[in-house]
Amino acid sequence: MNFFRKFRKGYNNNKPGTDSDAIFSLSSAYITLETKLGLKSTGRCALSLKSVDGMHFTEMKADIQRFLNIGKSDVELSNRLVVDSYGYLWVILEGKSMGDILAGISAVGDTIQEKGFTNQLLVAIFEFNYKEKPNNGDSIQYLVYNYKFNKFYPFVPFGQKTRNSENEMKIMATIVDEVPFEKDMTLWYPLWDLPF
Amino acid sequence: MYLSIPKTPSWQRRDTGLTARMILSFAILALLYLVFLSALVYVGFDFVTITVIASIMILAQWYFSDKIVLWSSGAKKVTREQFPELHDIIERVIARNSLPKPKIAVINTNMPNAFATGKGPRSSVVVVTTGLMDLLDTEELEGVLAHELTHIRNRDVLVLTLVSLFSTVAWYLMQFGFYGGMGYGYGGGRDRNNNGGALIIVIVVAMLTWVISFLIIRAISRYREFAADRGSAQMTGKPVKLANALMKISGGMRQVPTKDLRQVEGLNAFFIVPALSGSTIGNLFSTHPPVEKRIQKLMEMEASMG
Repeated sequence: MNFFRKFRKGYNNNKPGTDSDAIFSLSSAYITLETKLGLKSTGRCALSLKSVDGMHFTEMKADIQRFLNIGKSDVELSNRLVVDSYGYLWVILEGKSMGDILAGISAVGDTIQEKGFTNQLLVAIFEFNYKEKPNNGDSIQYLVYNYKFNKFYPFVPFGQKTRNSENEMKIMATIVDEVPFEKDMTLWYPLWDLPF
Repeated sequence: MYLSIPKTPSWQRRDTGLTARMILSFAILALLYLVFLSALVYVGFDFVTITVIASIMILAQWYFSDKIVLWSSGAKKVTREQFPELHDIIERVIARNSLPKPKIAVINTNMPNAFATGKGPRSSVVVVTTGLMDLLDTEELEGVLAHELTHIRNRDVLVLTLVSLFSTVAWYLMQFGFYGGMGYGYGGGRDRNNNGGALIIVIVVAMLTWVISFLIIRAISRYREFAADRGSAQMTGKPVKLANALMKISGGMRQVPTKDLRQVEGLNAFFIVPALSGSTIGNLFSTHPPVEKRIQKLMEMEASMG
């Protein structure tokens, strides 16, 4: 049985599906998170990629910024670009509706891939918090989309560099069938001290 | 005897005293068993008698399972005054599910583990290590104890005893049948070569019987682990707590990483694909399903409860 499962898994992995498709699968899954766990998007999300020196990268950065600023009239998204201590560039978007956020993030991702920086892409990360107490900074939970594995996984920081794996498993249980989900917990790498 | 939680590989945890002690005890028991039966064969009992005696010995092992386990593991029965929280948790679970209260024993070791054994729900014993109590919070401990209580409720010790009994009886009867057949062969005045062939067939069939029954016992055992997980989830209503406990107990390897993704990516360790995680052959022989599988099933239950 295991053998066939492995076989099937391999097959599914090869099925063509773009990163945008995966990210847009959140457009229904976020409702499930809200109804089942009471988690609501804070409207913030970010995409990170490894910075490289060079003209092309600088051009791409300018393109992203230009694109986001032009789009401002259509979708309500504020944006900012930050480089963290690891040398990763973060494109941080903030919007009111999940539709806008997803459209913005996947458009940024597509732009980066078109410019040939697919291998630099690390994650897209979406911030959630409990509906009842949206201002409690201690209960923030993240959903991370890993561009290398093309799958989502949860990340719930808890205190100093520890995580609340119980809440992470709850997120997995809730949306595992709705989005491409990383079932191997040993690949749920955290992202500490996010620059937003 | 019934270990409910897979032991961590020895290289992960240094505390192997308990494992060694229990393996030694059961090895000695098995040896005594073999010596005794060989003596019976030597004295000249026929196979039917030996089958009956072997069955009685297996049943005795079941009947005294609680005593044997307490003796071999060095577990000490504890009173409410010594471990009030442990008694409270178990009483809470049994009250909600109208089960009889088992005896409670504790082993003083850092290795987190728990098991249950005994001939029936009323005379069973639940054993936990001090390491388990230190590692888990109250609700996680409740999940593990409910898992053990489900083993007791499902009479898993009896089930596995009966299964081993049947396989043992089958093994002896089959040998008896073949030796009987060979005796007939001698009478017929067959030559040595033919007898050699018959002996090989006896050995091969005996081995096959043993291997098949061994695999069946393992499969039943694994199935009953899942059943106990499910029972625990139903008793406590919180499968995620047991899943969390399993993650904590299985330790290091399976735990969610704490190293930052950006650091890992930098080291390129990221691209090393883990070689065959949990090989199929290993699964066939183990009495416990892989922890990942159990966690996955528990999370499915959690999802369906939401």
